[in-house]
Amino acid sequence: MKTLICILLLSLVIACNPEDATPITPTNPSDIDFTNAVAVKEGMFVGIGGHTASGTAILYELSGKKYIVFDPYSSQNGPDLKVYLSKDEKATEYIRVGKLMAVTGRQVYEIPGNPDLSQYPFVHVWCEKFSVEFARAPLM
Amino acid sequence: MLRRLSIVLFAFVFAAPSFAQEARTIDQLDGTFSFAKYQGALSVHYSHLWKIGKSKKLALGVGGRITSYLGANQYYITAPAKITSGSSSPFVIFKENIDENIDSLLIQSPQVTMINVSINIEYQITSKFTAGFNIDAIGFSFGGEQSANYINGFTGKITDARPTAFNALLISDNDHGSLNSELFVKFKLNSKWSVRTGAQFLFTEYTTETDVQQYPEPNDRFRRKSLLFGLGVNYQLQ
Repeated sequence: MKTLICILLLSLVIACNPEDATPITPTNPSDIDFTNAVAVKEGMFVGIGGHTASGTAILYELSGKKYIVFDPYSSQNGPDLKVYLSKDEKATEYIRVGKLMAVTGRQVYEIPGNPDLSQYPFVHVWCEKFSVEFARAPLM
Repeated sequence: MLRRLSIVLFAFVFAAPSFAQEARTIDQLDGTFSFAKYQGALSVHYSHLWKIGKSKKLALGVGGRITSYLGANQYYITAPAKITSGSSSPFVIFKENIDENIDSLLIQSPQVTMINVSINIEYQITSKFTAGFNIDAIGFSFGGEQSANYINGFTGKITDARPTAFNALLISDNDHGSLNSELFVKFKLNSKWSVRTGAQFLFTEYTTETDVQQYPEPNDRFRRKSLLFGLGVNYQLQ
């Protein structure tokens, strides 16, 4: 019986590896020049649910492509953090822009699917695996 | 493979009472804890089996099982065979999944309790060891409403979902609801008690509050297939 309990406990310990955290700074900083790009909307990040976050999100259109630029950006770290662009505050309908590149520093995301940006007034940093919102920027 | 075996088993079970008149029976209760990464299940299973054949080593029967499944941050995928394989015919078991038709539903805290009628087969290998297989056939499920994240490529929706209420074993992805099955070996400790170990292949299914999936057709049912390692005890009632 003791052996069985040991095997069970060992299996649970092996099964509970911590998730990979997001890098502190972007590993591949973008060199896209937004000097001549059209800034469509802009908003400030606020932390949600007790998480700390700050920075600015700017939506750009450049050469037929659409981008979100975080510049600057800072938030708490967490597992499986994703960037969403959504139609409402609760992200009931959203575009999954990509994995959060880093918890600090300037970062550039290309928005997939060429959406109508007027329909998406919120940027979220969302812990997808645990369904927890970390930060939100209402865009104006 | 498990599905094909279950069809054969199903046919045997309904024929079993005719063999049973001269055969001895087994009444037993199993309790099993099974687990894998970030998920686990507790099941209590009563079964009544008829020993058949000259050697009485093979036993077939029916039973009832309660399984309670608990997970954390588990991905469910599109359930209906008509969407996953493009067909709901009995031959769907031979068809490949159509990947572009399969979307995901991420559920933060899935919790499903299912009560099902089971079909069972056991074979006594030696006086101490018995191997067996059982599978849920029909029943119902319940559990609380959960927040769920529907993911379709680069788009998604946050929605609510509940366990699908009605369970039925059919063929391949035509299955409906939440069903447990188990392949096990048990070791006899004394005339009443045995310890058992094996694998549980557990299907749990959630239905979203709206048809969140629209392509290739509207869908609100999402299934998770969990392979769990199980440990448990068996008590012979007779």
